[in-house]
Amino acid sequence: MSISQYNGSAMIAMTGKGCVGIAADRRLGIRNMTKACDFKKVFQVNDKILVGFSGLATDLQTLEQRLRMRCNMYKLREEREISIEAFGNLVASMQYEKRFGYYFVEPVIAGLKADNSPYLMSSDIIGAQCFKDDFVVAGDTAETLFGMCESVYRPDLGPEELFEVLSQCLLSGVDRDCLAGWGATVYIMTPEGVRETHLKGRMD
Amino acid sequence: MADGAYSFSLTTFSPSGKLVQIEYALNAVAAGSTSLGIRAKNGVVIATEKKAPTILIDETSLQKICMLTSSIGAVYSGMGPDFRVLVAKGRKAAQAYFRIYREEIPALQLVRELAAVMQEFTQSGGVRPFGISLLLAGFDHAGPHLYQVDPSGSFVAWKANAIGKNFVNAKSFLEKRLNDEMELEDAIHTALLTLKEGFDGLVDEHNIEIAVVSDDKRFRILSPAEIKDYLAEVD
Amino acid sequence: MSTASIAQALNEQRGGFDFELAKRNAALEGAGMKVPRATKTGTTIVGMVYKDGVVLGADTRSTQGPTVADKNCQKIHYIADNIWCCGAGTAADTEFTTALISSKVELHRMATGKQPRLVTALTMLKRLLFRYQGHVGAALILGGVDCNGPALYQVYPHGSTDYLPYVTMGSGSVNAMAIFESEYKDGLTQEEAMKLVHKAVLSGIFNDLGSGSNVDLCVITREGHTLHRGYDQPNPRRFRYPGGFTYTNGTTPTLSSSFTPSRTPAAVVGGAGMEVDA
Repeated sequence: MSISQYNGSAMIAMTGKGCVGIAADRRLGIRNMTKACDFKKVFQVNDKILVGFSGLATDLQTLEQRLRMRCNMYKLREEREISIEAFGNLVASMQYEKRFGYYFVEPVIAGLKADNSPYLMSSDIIGAQCFKDDFVVAGDTAETLFGMCESVYRPDLGPEELFEVLSQCLLSGVDRDCLAGWGATVYIMTPEGVRETHLKGRMD
Repeated sequence: MADGAYSFSLTTFSPSGKLVQIEYALNAVAAGSTSLGIRAKNGVVIATEKKAPTILIDETSLQKICMLTSSIGAVYSGMGPDFRVLVAKGRKAAQAYFRIYREEIPALQLVRELAAVMQEFTQSGGVRPFGISLLLAGFDHAGPHLYQVDPSGSFVAWKANAIGKNFVNAKSFLEKRLNDEMELEDAIHTALLTLKEGFDGLVDEHNIEIAVVSDDKRFRILSPAEIKDYLAEVD
Repeated sequence: MSTASIAQALNEQRGGFDFELAKRNAALEGAGMKVPRATKTGTTIVGMVYKDGVVLGADTRSTQGPTVADKNCQKIHYIADNIWCCGAGTAADTEFTTALISSKVELHRMATGKQPRLVTALTMLKRLLFRYQGHVGAALILGGVDCNGPALYQVYPHGSTDYLPYVTMGSGSVNAMAIFESEYKDGLTQEEAMKLVHKAVLSGIFNDLGSGSNVDLCVITREGHTLHRGYDQPNPRRFRYPGGFTYTNGTTPTLSSSFTPSRTPAAVVGGAGMEVDA
């Protein structure tokens, strides 16, 4: 069994017009046994940054805590919020530092730049960044999510449309994934704030 | 730093609560040649005397202003060799920051790094404090900055300041001329006038050094030809 | 972590690799867990010297196993204004190795006050790669122009290097080399050189499965460099459903929803007022 399938996860991030979103499932499993249906995988760093982690749950939480420390230290030291570009590079360099003993986590970062244009980045387990202007996916069945996104995504979606597209891509994707699903959350970020919505999905 | 039983810090409090080694270090700074800096609305200028003790020295080989990052540079008064140590450490700190964030280090953060090094040398065993004060010019996301860092590790932001020999006169000269609306070109002229005021002999393009950073965020050391043109303008 | 390492943690990254999790990961792998794979570039990267400079070329596909991870990634990396470097192999290794060397070259440039030389960057690269005995999986093509004129070097992941007039690396290297071997000539013009490099990369894109999407070029001469990102885009998406799929608002059933307003006000445009979406 692969480590990325140990806890199971599915995640998509997309850009819209002046907005971005991340959709993630809520399942935490130990192999085929479901342990929780309210597991948090997406975190808001500040007004402009959302970050989601897919992979091994223990590493997900460790990396999130260390990142939070680094961002808090940055804020105290520099007396400003970290920009999303700097945050993306911080995540990648923290991952690469552990190149020969890495976190089994693939981060997905979505947010807004200083001019409120969307920013989207994903990274592999050792910090190889991938910058996109449409969508990124992560999780144990990234392929099914890729398929949905490739056909359904279109540019310049508004926040409401983006929510529907993200939700449908994720729900359809996890329907073909035994290890992910069991509830899902969609985060839509606009300059005004972040809307967090729990979806009603299949619970099997 | 070695921490053997006898490598205690030389910088020890006197009974009256002073660290005399640091005061001696400041004396070394005050004996050094004059350096000054002015923060204008759209940039910063730093300038210094670069007078060789004898005409036998090849002046073109002397350099007193150093670039730390593409948008930050520094000048010093005091002991030249000590400056090189801090420049090397400053450049490394700036590159380490860049490698993590892929963003240039803000001037204040670099000042903190350098000040931390200088502080460490007032408290560590087997070392002496740095015999220099720094004037650091930078332009970052928050605008133009001029900082001074002292041997004690304390740092201050200035609108305009002078350090080294004659700094009292130079500062009162700057106080009279400083205004908040000053543009970079005026600041360069003022810097030259201030240098000329306290200069022993005749200022020319070879015995002073000037660097600027404007809102293009490029720190630039002026060539002798450029300095000559500015000198012609203020005469 | 011991108590002393709280101070270490606050010191943040001190440079170098951290092997904290190496033992755990080895134990998991030993227990039969499959370890996820890092992104590879797949890659066709090429370089060629011509009369007045160097042309570097690369495809833009990166892969994770058989899946295309990125359709348009950049494999031509900046070292210095006069030195660029194509990277193949483990994507993160090529990215961070070139960034580290770029940073060291910049320090060297400031210390010497001179334009960096290719051999300087080359030696830094091969020393680093040799030290890691091939575990840092970066196969590189280093090209540029310095005081000795244009030059091109090939760097293997284990740290060996070659000095050659034309070079290919990555999974598509054989495809690209076929083009060079049949068509390379000494003393080509810039236009001819760009054409040939373009053709070599296309050969990789269309014949090697690990390479794909677009052609990036970088031309370096004594006067400076030009990066042609997306120089040729021979593989655009062929069909998209007209107008796109639309889900009417409210399609997805939801359980609950909450809104966290921004702590800072939304961006002020021209100082006139808050930008509000209609």
